[in-house]
Amino acid sequence: MGKADRISGSFWFVVSVFISYESNKMGLGDLRHPGPGFFFFWTGIVTAILSLVVIVRSFKKRPGEGEEANPSIFGKRIITKLVLVLISLFLYALLMEWLGFLIVTLLLFIFLLGAIEKKRWPIVVLVSLIVTALSYLIFEVGLQSQLPKGPLEFLRF
Amino acid sequence: MTDILHNVIYGFGIALQPINLMYCFFGVLIGTLVGVLPGLGPAAAIALLLPATFKISPVSATIMLAGIYYGAMYGGSTTSILVNIPGEAASVVTCLDGHQMALKGRAGPALGIAAFGSFIAGTFAVIALTFVGPSLSNLAIAFGPPEYFSLMIVGITVLTYLSSGSMIKALMMAGVGLVLSGVGMDTISGQYRFTFKIQSLLDGVGVVPVAMGLFGISEVLLNLETEIKRDILTTRVKNLFPSLKDWGESIWSIVRGSVLGFFLGIIPGGGAIVASFASYAIEKKISNHPEEFGKGAIQGVAGPEAANNSAAGGSFIPLLTLGIPANPVMAILFGGLMIHGLQPGPLLMNNAPDLFWGTIVSMYIGNGMLLVLNLPLIPLWVKVLRVPYYLLYPLILLFCLIGAYSLENSTADIMIMLIFGMLGFLMKKFRYEGAPMILALVLGQKVETSFRRSLIMSHGDFSIFISRPISLVFLITAILLLIIPIITQRKKLSTLEE
Repeated sequence: MGKADRISGSFWFVVSVFISYESNKMGLGDLRHPGPGFFFFWTGIVTAILSLVVIVRSFKKRPGEGEEANPSIFGKRIITKLVLVLISLFLYALLMEWLGFLIVTLLLFIFLLGAIEKKRWPIVVLVSLIVTALSYLIFEVGLQSQLPKGPLEFLRF
Repeated sequence: MTDILHNVIYGFGIALQPINLMYCFFGVLIGTLVGVLPGLGPAAAIALLLPATFKISPVSATIMLAGIYYGAMYGGSTTSILVNIPGEAASVVTCLDGHQMALKGRAGPALGIAAFGSFIAGTFAVIALTFVGPSLSNLAIAFGPPEYFSLMIVGITVLTYLSSGSMIKALMMAGVGLVLSGVGMDTISGQYRFTFKIQSLLDGVGVVPVAMGLFGISEVLLNLETEIKRDILTTRVKNLFPSLKDWGESIWSIVRGSVLGFFLGIIPGGGAIVASFASYAIEKKISNHPEEFGKGAIQGVAGPEAANNSAAGGSFIPLLTLGIPANPVMAILFGGLMIHGLQPGPLLMNNAPDLFWGTIVSMYIGNGMLLVLNLPLIPLWVKVLRVPYYLLYPLILLFCLIGAYSLENSTADIMIMLIFGMLGFLMKKFRYEGAPMILALVLGQKVETSFRRSLIMSHGDFSIFISRPISLVFLITAILLLIIPIITQRKKLSTLEE
């Protein structure tokens, strides 16, 4: 985990310094009247020190010491799958209010089952239709979740 | 004593109302289901169902959400024993001996003792809760800002102390959680903080979307990578009732697990996961045949299963009496109560006695329901486990998406959930834990305001935290928890060098 700790430690160090910088801008006040940035300024400082400790300790660790020696954190083949799933989820969020719950859910399932999992298309379409209809009935009709309707506004159950 | 009896009878009056019985049943049923399903733990399930409870009364909502939590503890054991995959983290140790028992054809007694052990422990925890809760509430009424500050620092420290990975990383995550809690309006000065002119950050970062991201989405992403292997036992599960010999071997493990779990549950930062590990360690240590552990010792199933259920009950104490959530699940429940307009804390018992006593008593009833439900439904849960993961994970993702959207009918919460889902995935990869971050996010605002109020009270004098005895005790505990690992590590290093 040596290299990984250096990367993550550096990331959190930058974040912590940024937190302290922002908190300082908000106003620290004094001890009698601590300002809105006081507490988080010091939280940022402490977190920055801790991340430095993580970085320093990462240099002392030899591979295989206490933790697995495998330097690769991500399987290469899987990265594409993960990225595609994440993109589809972000698109779901972005398009949800515009296209409505029914259409985006149907598209999401067709994409996940068809394009990612590579199942047979008749099954993909059938399962996607069933899941979309059932989830609509459970959440919109049953639990009255007020999901966005989009162009299918006229569909009222 | 008569007061408690009176309150328990009042609680039964609330919990036995048909509507509450129905929600209790739903809760334990859903809980068992999420306990059975790997990749969906009670924290994600409660977060998911929280928006659906906004339309029902807070009492029914809390009864159902509590049912999900202790129901999941029951359900988790089923997957551990039959598939060797813990349905949720508190059942990890049950795999060790539970699955071995199943391989030897003793799946029935393993499932049976897990269910009965859980029932006995769950009931013990509820009885203890009934007695300890009110006295702790009375004590907590005397707490001022310094005591609250110190107590919450202990909570965060305990969680980092008990974290399975690096304590430094856990403390860092607690720091990040504290800062996240500061996003939005400052309650003392009215100034906006860390909002960066983003509209959806003005109200702060919600606990629920963050928890769903860190525990739900990230878990799915991890499972996508590892492809869950399932070799479900194909043999029929029979003889669910443990024999007299089994009872003789495991009854004291159940008793020890119940007591240990309850106390570990009360400590903020403790909870079911720690309790199950601690119980297993103790059972192995005091056993006359420690070599049998890992090869199908029934004590290795009975003790931890009792402990995790008892801890689930115990962890309601700090939430209901002190307003301090002991673990991420309680943190989400805390958020839920706040949305329902209730402030968990010492005054809850007086302000909402129906909720306090109704929820506690519903746990007696829920534990009974679980015993009846769990044993005959095991074949059904086994069928659920056969649902292939390529179908299961899109469903879990969809539930998370709907859950996050329903919080405030806004896609901003989905975005927050997805961002924290990615972050949670990376955190697991880089061995950072999500639990301290969630706990600090929930407690953060209270930690900060009580810290600032204490300093205002003392005119900037820090000694206010050590001049008040209760606060001093809490702080000493926190410091000890921080120092102990350093000392033990030094000792280990010096013995290694010798």
